[in-house]
Formats: sequence, structure tokens, C-alpha cells
Amino acid sequence: MAAPARAPHRPWRTAWITPRGELLSPPRLTATALRLTVQVFLVVFLWRGLYAQTDGAVAGLDREQAVAYAVLAVLALRIRELDRHSGRDTVQQHLHHGTIVYWFLRPVAPRRYHALRALGDQLYGFAWVVAGYLLCRSAGVLPPPASAEAGAAFLAGVVLGQLVLYRVMLLVDLLCFWTLRDGAALRIVQFAQNLLSGAFAPLWFFPGWFRTMSDFLPFQATLNTPLSLYIGRIPPSEAPHALLVQAVWAVGLAVLTRWLWHRAALRVVSQGG
Amino acid sequence: MATLAAGPDTAAEGIVARNLTRTFHTAVRRPGFAGALRSLVDPLRVEKTAVRDVSFSVERGRLLALLGPNGAGKSTTIKMLTGILTPTSGEARVAGVVPYRERERNARNIGAVFGQRTQLWWDLPARESFAVLRDVYGVPQAEHRARLAEFDSLLELSEFWDTRVRHLSLGQRVRCDLAAALLHDPPVVFLDEPTIGMDVVVKEQVRGFLRHQVERRGRTVLLTTHDMTEVARLAERVVLINHGRIVLDGSLEEIRGRFGGTWQVHATLDPAELEGAPPPGIRVVRREGPRVVFGPDGSGGPGGSGGAAPPTVHRALRAIVERYRVTDLALEENDLEDVMRAAYLRREERPVRDAAEDGAVADGAAADGAAGDGAAPAAGRSA
Repeated sequence: MAAPARAPHRPWRTAWITPRGELLSPPRLTATALRLTVQVFLVVFLWRGLYAQTDGAVAGLDREQAVAYAVLAVLALRIRELDRHSGRDTVQQHLHHGTIVYWFLRPVAPRRYHALRALGDQLYGFAWVVAGYLLCRSAGVLPPPASAEAGAAFLAGVVLGQLVLYRVMLLVDLLCFWTLRDGAALRIVQFAQNLLSGAFAPLWFFPGWFRTMSDFLPFQATLNTPLSLYIGRIPPSEAPHALLVQAVWAVGLAVLTRWLWHRAALRVVSQGG
Repeated sequence: MATLAAGPDTAAEGIVARNLTRTFHTAVRRPGFAGALRSLVDPLRVEKTAVRDVSFSVERGRLLALLGPNGAGKSTTIKMLTGILTPTSGEARVAGVVPYRERERNARNIGAVFGQRTQLWWDLPARESFAVLRDVYGVPQAEHRARLAEFDSLLELSEFWDTRVRHLSLGQRVRCDLAAALLHDPPVVFLDEPTIGMDVVVKEQVRGFLRHQVERRGRTVLLTTHDMTEVARLAERVVLINHGRIVLDGSLEEIRGRFGGTWQVHATLDPAELEGAPPPGIRVVRREGPRVVFGPDGSGGPGGSGGAAPPTVHRALRAIVERYRVTDLALEENDLEDVMRAAYLRREERPVRDAAEDGAVADGAAADGAAGDGAAPAAGRSA
């Protein structure tokens, strides 16, 4: 019992859980592919239709830039829309059903476990994005990055944007430890995330006061920054500043969520007698 | 109250709880609209002690049943021993580790199953969940295979372990959960109502599995259950907890002796014996000709007005046979479920020392304007 000889500790294997569950459900894969195709098709025709009514650029974006931004936004949303709910595997569900206790009974800190699972989810979502990107490029829907510098800045922006996105979603998960049921908070954050990140429409189309407000929130760092770098709306000369803002958000939210994890661990509610 | 009989060696390998106390603070809403508004700006904090001064120990390779009615404090005690909750006061050691201080080290020493709450991943086949846990705990592949084979021989897991967890029946899922909890070979296992909702066949299979783990593998098991058949078949020792306090720590026989005093002896006596007084601690419940029904004398023992405890049914039988000339004899004894019901419902008389300590606490609390009696919620405002 309790053998001293141990195999290598490989907690990173937990990152594979959600992708593996998805791969075991062919209907989910089909539904995802179908939904992405329909969404890309619709946004391409929507933005081309809108630009047909105007001459030249609007809000600093020409037609190709606007379409590229919208298509990339649709693909990027796939990264954070993995269906953990049907697998009873959201933090909210674990708290509700009391299964969160197992997170505290394994030799992996809950904070690390959560991060590994999110990493697996994001890499799996990224695979979809890459596949969708290549298809859209070959179909002529997406132009290449505005320049090589823009492409490099875009890649850096995507990584930093995903870090910020993970921390924002983690904040909502941690909120569950205080509220137990955070359905309303989650919906508000998701709406704010979509609106203020540029998923609904490029932030460049919104009025000045709206963009000023979003400058003080982390959401635009998740999507608007990397997409604007890709299409060249943020020129390479301004890329360092944009990436720095993303990094500041990533670090600030990391500090905040680390502190909240500590507080949350003290609040694991006793379920039952 | 139990005292720690365990020495340092036992403490290092089994479970030791010493004066564990856990108090929860919650905000409650005042009644009415005005009360609700006031609660927003000035919440009323309520303090509730779920577990108070709980002390017991379990030696290595033993199974202890922690029993009590719903809300008695069993799960809170287990959560402190597993390191999920930090006690407000007191201390615990599990396999030599303070569980709430060294969670990660403790996690390698313990396995746990919490009733119907599964630790398996819903979308994965059970065997893939086992593989994930193998990697999380760092179990060598050969060891993992051997242990799975052992668990399969006892729990017949291979019939369904390639099925996704969402498609398993409750009995199949809990068997998988038991296996998942023991895959890393923990010396100490906590089982919180593991057989709840199972059919009798699966229950018996699980009991056999637990017996094997204790007797053959030397695991220390702390089990909570409401199933008295399970207690009768598995538990050598029982700790009874109610209102957050330990009521009794002993064998099943001791519990029967203390709370099962509602036996009846139906005897047919020689007519010449009918006028004699019954033996001490025994009374005549009713009499129909030569047929007499004896029962425990209600004036003594727990819940009585004083005097000695009534005799156990075995002693009563002997006393009746020695006292009278008996021509026929029948015994009617409560089963364990009746005994436990009596134990849960009976107000435990509290030792004078405890009552005095409570008085001191209450006095101190009154001076502070905060806490009150352990079991009862005490309201007070706090930051």
C-alpha cells in the first residue's frame, strides 16, 4: 500500500478531457462544423451587403477588412464555446452538485487543474480555428494578414488575448463560490464579452465614448486587438502598445484571480450534514 | 466522549480527530420588505456550530462507522478529515498528515467517495477516467493494471467500464467511483453514504469489496451510512454523532445496551410463581394468566429518572430464568434500525463537566455579544 515508487506525475493529461469527450460524440462535431459554416456564410453576406450601400471605407475599415474581421471573430468564438455544460463539467455545476470537493482531494491544486482544463479546451478550439481559417483562405473569404509584421503581431495578440479571455471566464467561475448559482452573472459577462470584444461588430463602428469605455475594460484585449492587428486597422507601429495593454490585463487579472482562488478555497461550502 | 487511546504509531497511520470544532457564519434575511432592505446594508450574521469537540481515532486497518441522523455533522467531520474544510478549532491527523495544512500530500494518502456525487468525467468511458487519475496520481502502468484487475474481480467493472459515465446506472457508477477512489492505493478511505440508492445485490457486492479492502489490504475506512444492515455487516466499531457532538463511541453491542432497551420477554410461568416480584431493572409489562410479558424498567438508564441502566436482553433472560420456573419463553428484540432510531431521538444526558463548560462558554459569549450554545444557531452581527 502507498507504494513509494511512483510514475511521473502527469496532471497535464487532464487537459485532454474535454477534447476527448467531444471526439467521442460525432454529432457534436457535425453540429460544430455545420454551425461554423452557416455563421461564416451569413457574416460574409451580411458585411458585403452592408458595404454595397456605401462607397469606400467606413470607420477606417474597407469592405475586405470588415469581412475578414467578422469571419475571424466567428472562428475565434469557437475557442470559448466548448460545451462543458452537457458534460456536467462547469464550475457552476460542480458547486451545485457538490462534486467540487473532488477538486480539493487530488494532488493537483484546483487552480492548476482549472487552468490545465482550460488550456486543453482552448487548444482544441484553436484546432477548429486553424481548420476554419485554412478553409476560408482557400475559399477566398479571408485575405492574408496585412503584412508580415501584422501577422506576427496578430499571433502574439491571439496568445495574449486567450490569456485575458481565460482570466475573464475564470473570474465568472470563481464568482460561483460566493453566489453558488451564477447563471445571471455568466449571461451578463458573456454579453459584455461579445459586445465589448468586437464579436458582434468591430469596435471601430461604435461611437467614441463607447470605445473610450471599452479601453478601461479587459474585453477588447481578447478579440478586437488581435483582429485589428490582422487586418491592419492597428498598424504595426502601434502594435507594441496594443500588445503591452493586453499583457497588463493578463498580469493584472492573473494576480486578482490567484487571490480569489485562495479566498474561494476557504469557502467550499459544506454540503449536507 | 471518546478519548484518544491511540499512541503515536497508530496516529501516524490511521485517523485521529481531537476536539474538532467547525463553526459556519451565514447571512440571513430579516422578515418583510423593510427587513430585506435592512439586510442589504446591515446583514444579520448567524453562527452555527456544525461540529463541536469531536474526538475519536481509527487504527490502521480498521473500519469505523460514523453514524447519526441527517444534519448531525457527519459530512462536516469527514470534510475536515479530508482537508476540504479547515476546523475552527481542534486538530486532525490522517495517516500522519494534518489534512487541511498539507492538502496535496494528504490527497495521496486518502481516497473518498461522497454518495452519489461522482468524480468521474461524464463524457468519458469509466476506464479513461481511471487512466486520467492514474496520470494525476503518478501510478505506474503495471501497478495500475494489476489494481484494475483486482477491482474488476471484486466489482465486475469490465462489463461496463468502456461505457461513457453518463450512460452508467447508479450502481455501476458508484462501483466505478469506489475503484477510482482506490486506484492510487490510499491507506485511508472516506466513504460518505457510498451505497445510497443501490439495489441489494450491488450493496452486497460493495460490502464484500470494502471488507476485502480492510481485511486483506489493511486500509483504514471511515464510513457514514444510514443503512443499518451495512453497519451490522461491516462495522466493528461505531461512533454516534448528533447535533455536532459525539454521543457514543463503542461497539454495536454497547449501542444496543444503551439505546436498545425496548426488548420484551414473553414467558409462560409456573402458576405458583406469579406473585413474585420481577428481578431488578425488569418490570411486568402485562399479564394474561400464566403468560407474562417482561420489559426493561423505565425508571433507570438513559432517559429514565435515575438508578442503574436496565439490563441487556441477555442478562434479563438469565435473570428471569433464574428467578422463575419458566415453561415457555420467547424473545422480542428491536432490530438495529429501531435501536438507532431510539439513539437519534433520545436526548443524550450530558456529563456534568460538559454542561459546566457550556455554561462558561455561554457566559463568555454573552459578554462578547456573539456566540451561544454549540448546537443551536446564535445570531449576532459581525463584520
